[in-house]
Amino acid sequence: MTQQTAPLAIDAQHLVKRYRQKTAVDGISLQVRAGETFGILGTNGAGKTTTVEMIAGLRRPSEGTVRILGLDPFTDRAQVRQILGVQLQEAYLHGSLSCWELVELYRSFYPDPLDAQTALAMVELTEKAKTRFDDLSGGQMQRLSIALALIGRPEVVILDELTTGLDPKARRRVWSTIESLTEQTVILVSHAMDEVERLCGRVALIDQGRVIAQGSPEHLKEQAAAVTLEDAFVALTGKDIHDDEEDD
Amino acid sequence: MSETADIRRPAWRPGAAAWLRLIQAEAKMVIRDYAGLIVPLGLPLLILVMQGISIEERGQEIAEGVTVFSYYALPVVISMVVATIAVINMPSFLATYRKTKLLRRLAVTPASPAMVLVAQMVVSFIQVVLGIGLAFAVALIFFDAALPLAPLTAAGVLLACCAAMYGLGMIVASIAPTPNSSVAIGLIAFFGIAALGGMFGPADNLPEVLQTVGSWLPFGASVEAFQSAWLGEAVEFQNWVVLGGSAVMGAGVAGALFRWE
Repeated sequence: MTQQTAPLAIDAQHLVKRYRQKTAVDGISLQVRAGETFGILGTNGAGKTTTVEMIAGLRRPSEGTVRILGLDPFTDRAQVRQILGVQLQEAYLHGSLSCWELVELYRSFYPDPLDAQTALAMVELTEKAKTRFDDLSGGQMQRLSIALALIGRPEVVILDELTTGLDPKARRRVWSTIESLTEQTVILVSHAMDEVERLCGRVALIDQGRVIAQGSPEHLKEQAAAVTLEDAFVALTGKDIHDDEEDD
Repeated sequence: MSETADIRRPAWRPGAAAWLRLIQAEAKMVIRDYAGLIVPLGLPLLILVMQGISIEERGQEIAEGVTVFSYYALPVVISMVVATIAVINMPSFLATYRKTKLLRRLAVTPASPAMVLVAQMVVSFIQVVLGIGLAFAVALIFFDAALPLAPLTAAGVLLACCAAMYGLGMIVASIAPTPNSSVAIGLIAFFGIAALGGMFGPADNLPEVLQTVGSWLPFGASVEAFQSAWLGEAVEFQNWVVLGGSAVMGAGVAGALFRWE
């Protein structure tokens, strides 16, 4: 079965999220096939995080539907939590616990978890097993978060702003970890062009809560007659990806 | 498209091992951040010793085997241990978890954020038992204090006191937007109810109006109920109403206002 013929792992249709006066997400539809690594690219405030939070079942859509491997993240919450691994953009862990203790804690939440040794080795934190979360560097915290997102052997993984704030070396290490996820369906939310271009087979460009364009990085560059994905983004959205706007 | 995968499977929920791990995690957080133990364990001890030193005729018996000190100081100290943990510490932990989005992180796992709340309560109850044990040890060794004449009634009052103080603590956790404001609101609430309930001296010394107000608040009701248990008497109905009502009110307010994020 090729990726083009693989069944849909994520099927989000016409998602809308309104907050009083503001519409954060305005009719986004995304379909991601099993085994695919799919990027969601947009400036800050474009609606990326709100979209994936609706997909993950953290925010109820004002309109629209989400299915993860055929399951509704709100009505089938318990089942979805077993098959979904999520790394949130900003989320802290029990700061006084060591990496090993955190991994063991999160392992206990799943029926068939990875063993703790494997989880830490996967993100190259074996030597930091006894180090408390509060004493880790930003990159190490991020890698531990990824390990915890993968600890339950999820079939679908959502990674939000995976490498924000990491130095180039740490970013490459995290990318290698993501590239090793060949069995899972991955949604990668980012505003880093190089990251998306390297890791994702298909990308949705999001602006002002809408999908502006969708396709492989090559297809998007062709569509915009651009040399780089960043140029394509500017051409298709009229915005610089580095523009600092309000948060999602 | 119609080719959506469908992998219906039985729902799985975290079992006893997960509960145990979470309780262990919360306990480690409390132990490793030991500064948080100073108030619930140290402050009641300080008040106990001060009352032990300052109460005149502390050894005088007001009932068979019940000294003035046991009757006035120990009910206040037990209520203090419970109140500091439930009204100051517990809301502060929850506010910190909310601010740092730890509860949100748990919400994307099969564990529910409500599990953290239960684990917190278990760990808090262990602290209550330790705090009371410590206070009793000091009281028995240094001030010849006596245990309550009606220990089962005292145990029942302790449970009601815990429920009432947790109710108040959940109101604090529900309305406090930040960890700092949680501590501030918790301290004000604690000193308010404790001052009117006899923490700074027997409530009998307060003006009548304040005595009445105090007895309708959970701290004062708890102290009065423990005093009844010490004398081996039945607890007044009003005390049960206040303690039960505080627990119910707290649960209601938390149900309406508490935010996980």
